[in-house]
Amino acid sequence: MARFQIEQATVRYGTFPAVTGIDFNLDPGESVGIVGPSGAGKTTLLRLLNGAVRPSVGRVKVDDSYLDMLSIGGLRAVRARVGVIHQDLRLVPNLRAVQNVVSGQIGRRGFFASLRGVFFPGRADVARAHKILERVGIPEKLFERTDSLSGGQRQRVAIARALFQSPDALLADEPVSSVDPARARDTVALLTQISRERELSLCVSLHNLELAREFFPRLIGMRGGRIVFDKPTDELHNADFEKLYDLSRSEILND
Amino acid sequence: MSKSSARAIAELRRTRPRNWVGRITGLALLALVVVSWTTHNFGWRHLFTARSAENFARFRREITPYPLQERAFDWDIFTTWLHTALTDKVMAAVVATLALSIAAIVLAAVIGAILSLFAARTLATADPYLPGPNVPHAARRHGWRALCAITRGFLIFMRAIPEYVWAYLFKAMLGLTAWPAVLALALHNGGILGKLNAEVIENVDPKTPRALRALGASRLQIAATAIAPTALNRFLLYFFYRWETCVREATVLGMLGFVSLGWFITDAQVRTNYDEMFLFILLGAGIILVGDLVSAGARRLIRRAK
Amino acid sequence: MRGSRRIVLLAIVIAGVWAAFYLDLAPGQLIPRETGWKVAREFFSAAIRPAAVDESGLGVSLWGRAAKGAWLTVVFAATSMSLALVLGLVFGLLASATIWELEDSGSNGWRHSFRRFVAPVLYTTARAFIALLRSVHELLWATLFLAAVGLSDATAVLAIAIPYGGTLAKVFSEMIDEAPRGAAHALIGAGASTTRAFFAALLPLALPDMAAYSFYRFECAIRSAAILGFFGIQTLGSFIVQSFELNLYREVWTYLYVLFALVLIVDWWSGLLRRRLVAA
Repeated sequence: MARFQIEQATVRYGTFPAVTGIDFNLDPGESVGIVGPSGAGKTTLLRLLNGAVRPSVGRVKVDDSYLDMLSIGGLRAVRARVGVIHQDLRLVPNLRAVQNVVSGQIGRRGFFASLRGVFFPGRADVARAHKILERVGIPEKLFERTDSLSGGQRQRVAIARALFQSPDALLADEPVSSVDPARARDTVALLTQISRERELSLCVSLHNLELAREFFPRLIGMRGGRIVFDKPTDELHNADFEKLYDLSRSEILND
Repeated sequence: MSKSSARAIAELRRTRPRNWVGRITGLALLALVVVSWTTHNFGWRHLFTARSAENFARFRREITPYPLQERAFDWDIFTTWLHTALTDKVMAAVVATLALSIAAIVLAAVIGAILSLFAARTLATADPYLPGPNVPHAARRHGWRALCAITRGFLIFMRAIPEYVWAYLFKAMLGLTAWPAVLALALHNGGILGKLNAEVIENVDPKTPRALRALGASRLQIAATAIAPTALNRFLLYFFYRWETCVREATVLGMLGFVSLGWFITDAQVRTNYDEMFLFILLGAGIILVGDLVSAGARRLIRRAK
Repeated sequence: MRGSRRIVLLAIVIAGVWAAFYLDLAPGQLIPRETGWKVAREFFSAAIRPAAVDESGLGVSLWGRAAKGAWLTVVFAATSMSLALVLGLVFGLLASATIWELEDSGSNGWRHSFRRFVAPVLYTTARAFIALLRSVHELLWATLFLAAVGLSDATAVLAIAIPYGGTLAKVFSEMIDEAPRGAAHALIGAGASTTRAFFAALLPLALPDMAAYSFYRFECAIRSAAILGFFGIQTLGSFIVQSFELNLYREVWTYLYVLFALVLIVDWWSGLLRRRLVAA
């Protein structure tokens, strides 16, 4: 089970600091929501967790290994155990749903086995993809072309791809911003249920405070690249959230 | 895997959407390639014999500049050779090649632009863009449809016959002036530009043409005011793409006797002055690369003009 | 920015006028004289009544020759295209920047320096090589082969395959570079190497366009194969020359219409394929 730890990390894109000196900690099987206005550094925090960005200051530790100490092979092994659901989904539209789902295994097998899995998925892979698609609610779309699916269905394919990795942890970046409000609740509910069933660590960034309070026992508030609060949800007060957004608004005004 | 899910998967697989066109095309082309390689004897064996290896070696000697064939490379000798090989006539042929391509593509653009008006299905109908005040007569409807179909067929025919063949045929009628070469290039490329431009016209957003039509504008007025300004950029992009191939073909048409670089290439080949022939071929490649650069620059300008 | 378009248009007009004067393109020369007029009249009047039977008196059936010419034209086109596709794929991959540029989280060490310093050299070399292949016209490749080992059927195929391979490589590499990279990055994030991510999530995105373009080049290859008949290969061009030199214009038109039919079929099929592959 993955245990993530970020120690005093700062990330700069060019000279722009995306996050500054943040500490973060996620235990095995724990789920946490990250809230905050756009540009608060939520996406960067998630990208730190699977080594997609390296901090210029500070370190990231997954389980017992610091990511900067790992060889490229070691880093890939860590990434293979972390499923990521991107805001823009990042599927291959002209492949079938099953092929996109099975491509989740690509970091876990040999070169030819993994590519064969994507283009000519074997019986066992198809059965497993079917089971996972059943869990996310669209088993009948197994062999459909991905670009013929609706936005919500595509998101489910992206979730299924992440689950096909047999991950220890799921990271989801703004999963509710790409679907309509009615779907948003279903998506967050699905992610939290699945991670509870499979005892996965879950880290979701989202705009929607109501959903965040309803589904996550612990919330992290971010603003301007810093962590403003990190508390159990039932200890949070309206004042905390107001601070999060009001401050950011005045900051925008000062710009 | 449970039995019921295995059955469900089999059923989903049976009813999955299939791309028959793609599959049949793939299989047919694969079969065609296999049949082509196996039924026709191309004589590949003769290419890999000691004799052809010798021939290649001889050829490699012969394409090195003649005064340098028997000695080490010397810059002075090379430049003197270059000066004698690149006579004023050759340089004039380089300019003529460019002039041929330019005259041809301009003529092709005129032909293509005019014919595309009759080949675009949105414009070449009895009632373009909106039903008019009165229903057009059946004869008019069928007349337009026939005109459109004939124009399209004519465009494909123009394009189906290669420039080289057109030039060969026109040469017998017009003699060795520049016209046969220009006409040949213009006809073939006019066919291509006409077809492409018809597609551009068909893809123009119908809102403005409809509004104009509702105001009672004629077909020509719609084309001039609502279609030309939006379609012009794309048309110019295609114009420069085709100009690149015109430069290529203009070089080669000289092999039929027209004044372009190709004539000097054939001439050097007939005299078995392979060193000069090779130099002229490289010179032709140089013209083409320069043409590509100019065209890419012009296309960038046009893209920015959007 | 409309100004730049006006400049381009003006340049085209000036260049066109210059070219017309340089080449001495007097409209009067467009009217054929004497024998030329006779040839023109007879040739174009034969357009509406192409030959249906042999007129040469050589005792060979016209349709037999036309069928042979058409079939060999297709055979030469297909053989050349199969070679050109191999060339195009190999060099297209080498010349695309994407295959080298897919990021692996700013990995450092030798991978980083490879990507930074070696990869640009590799793909620039590949691009220069491609430019060399495609900037020599197929008829000039044929001339080169003719001078070196003589023009046989095999060298005729090579003469088409080499420049076509270069063109395919250039266009393939551009299509690969234009494909969206998000899906490939997602797989890298799931632990894939950049090579795997490229083949699983980037190449599939470019493939439909590549297939459609290859099919279009097949149509061009048919025309190039037909022209090589002028150099003695038994494709449609050789029959056109033969009949034209015997003044059998009606036979010439039969061959022209056969070539037209070939291109018409390929064009129709290519449209069908494009709609299925690219628009879907």
